[in-house]
Amino acid sequence: MPVISLDHVVHRYGETVALRDLSLAVEPGEVFSLLGHNGAGKTTTVRIINGLLQPVSGTVRVFGRSPLTEGAEVRRRTAVLTESPTLDDRLTAAETLRAFAEMYDVRPADIDGRVGALLEEFGLAERGTDRVGGFSRGMKQRLGLARALVHDPELLFLDEPTAGLDPMATQQLHATVRTMSRERGRTVVLCTHNLVEAQALSDRVAVLGGGTLLALGTPAELARRIAPRLEVSIEVEPAQTDAAARLIAGLDGLVVSTERAGVIRVAGIGRDRVPDVAARLVAGGMSLYRIEPHEPSLTDAYFALQHGERGLS
Amino acid sequence: MNSRIIRAIVRKDLRVVRRSRALMTPLVVLPVLLMIVFPTVFTFLPRMMGGAREAFAEMFRNLPDPVRHQFGEFTEATWIRVVHTQMLAPLMLLVPFMVANVIAADGFAGERERKTLEPLLYTPATDAELFVAKLLAAWIPAIMIAFGGALVYAVIVNVTAWPVMHRVFFPDATWVVMILWMAPAFAALGLAGMLLVSLRVRGMQEATQLGGLFVLPVIALVVGEVRGAVLLGPWMAVVIGTFVWMIAGVLLAIGVKRFKRTTLVGRL
Repeated sequence: MPVISLDHVVHRYGETVALRDLSLAVEPGEVFSLLGHNGAGKTTTVRIINGLLQPVSGTVRVFGRSPLTEGAEVRRRTAVLTESPTLDDRLTAAETLRAFAEMYDVRPADIDGRVGALLEEFGLAERGTDRVGGFSRGMKQRLGLARALVHDPELLFLDEPTAGLDPMATQQLHATVRTMSRERGRTVVLCTHNLVEAQALSDRVAVLGGGTLLALGTPAELARRIAPRLEVSIEVEPAQTDAAARLIAGLDGLVVSTERAGVIRVAGIGRDRVPDVAARLVAGGMSLYRIEPHEPSLTDAYFALQHGERGLS
Repeated sequence: MNSRIIRAIVRKDLRVVRRSRALMTPLVVLPVLLMIVFPTVFTFLPRMMGGAREAFAEMFRNLPDPVRHQFGEFTEATWIRVVHTQMLAPLMLLVPFMVANVIAADGFAGERERKTLEPLLYTPATDAELFVAKLLAAWIPAIMIAFGGALVYAVIVNVTAWPVMHRVFFPDATWVVMILWMAPAFAALGLAGMLLVSLRVRGMQEATQLGGLFVLPVIALVVGEVRGAVLLGPWMAVVIGTFVWMIAGVLLAIGVKRFKRTTLVGRL
């Protein structure tokens, strides 16, 4: 059973359509990214899933329950790290975690241990009794994440989680996401503009544009679907560069150019034709040292989708 | 209802209020002024300043007949009774009203302004639990300060007036009803008014300006009593308190209908 299931969900703010017929399912234990420009519908989707908004139409199920009628039960098992951590400056880090542990009904006997462990894990142990108002943005972001994890949620929503984090903290957050998903079977939904991050962490991504689901799949699937043809760099003996280029240029549809002595670049080649190219070079007596495909990235796919949907703007 | 969640929100809110100088200043200054400074000054003044005695006598003579006749001839003892049981008494209702009003403004509009409401909406707290927690966070301190302040007031009045009264004369029945029945009602009114205002405005400043308008019934009571239009006896206190409870109840009922996650999130 999917952890999240959205079926033909529509939502409007007044006359503005925020989500148009959105259907998707998120499976247990996966890292699922919602990608899209500002206003694409990512935050609206997260709010609907957590019962903060009532969709105009469509069905929403989280852990098999309706977030509208069984919101408390759903939210007990979820956590949301909002884009800005929205912490109360007048509370200390430890008080913040303790308050939310109580609100999430963490067993009283477990609270102190849990709070201490999270402060330690996120490098805030020495500042645990300091008020949050004096924290840097990065520290607030880490505390926000610690707060989201205080009740060990089964489903975690991270909205731009690495905004404001330094590289070390970003790495730590990525490790946390991987650990939650791979080792502990938790489900993570990532809302992000950071396509590199989404590609690195996600099992699957959904690209939203203007409230519409533009594409859904693994990052690699999307990239291939959007850009089915590759560019390939082929390294041969430098003295054989021209001869190798001539051999391949005879194949239909390929655009061959010499990158530098010993390296030929082939554009417009389908994945299925790479072995043919290699075989032809070897059969032609070329010394083939390396074939390096330049896979299209999620970034390429994302921009192709967004521009395809709305035109270059 | 999950009382643990409610307690957690109340504790958090009160901690946040306690640490705000901007909020604590009026919450301390007003009770100190009304419950310590005023009773002390108004008891001592006629005795310490010769000119003041005549001025107070003149003020007493200008009181409406019904009030004056209730107390008889002007003496120092009369003055002390008039001041504490009639003139200052309704002002005490400002304390629970203001405390509830200020804390509620911070708990509703302030929390939205600081953007700390959204994480609360993502917790398992139901709409009803959130609502009750926010109400209690404002109402409990208002009542505690009103009760505590009333006790301090009574002690100060009896001590400072002892050389004149030679007995414990305060509080009287009206005052007891006022503190135990009217003060919680006015706290509820301040709270309910601020709740309704906060659901409509975005900022704390707007909320306090509009929510403060609900103080008008207290002002009306003070003016009414000084002018003789209202003679606050125990039964009148019960009646007025009941009326204020009913208004607060209606406002709270409207508030609870509007206090929905799905509505609140639209104003984040």
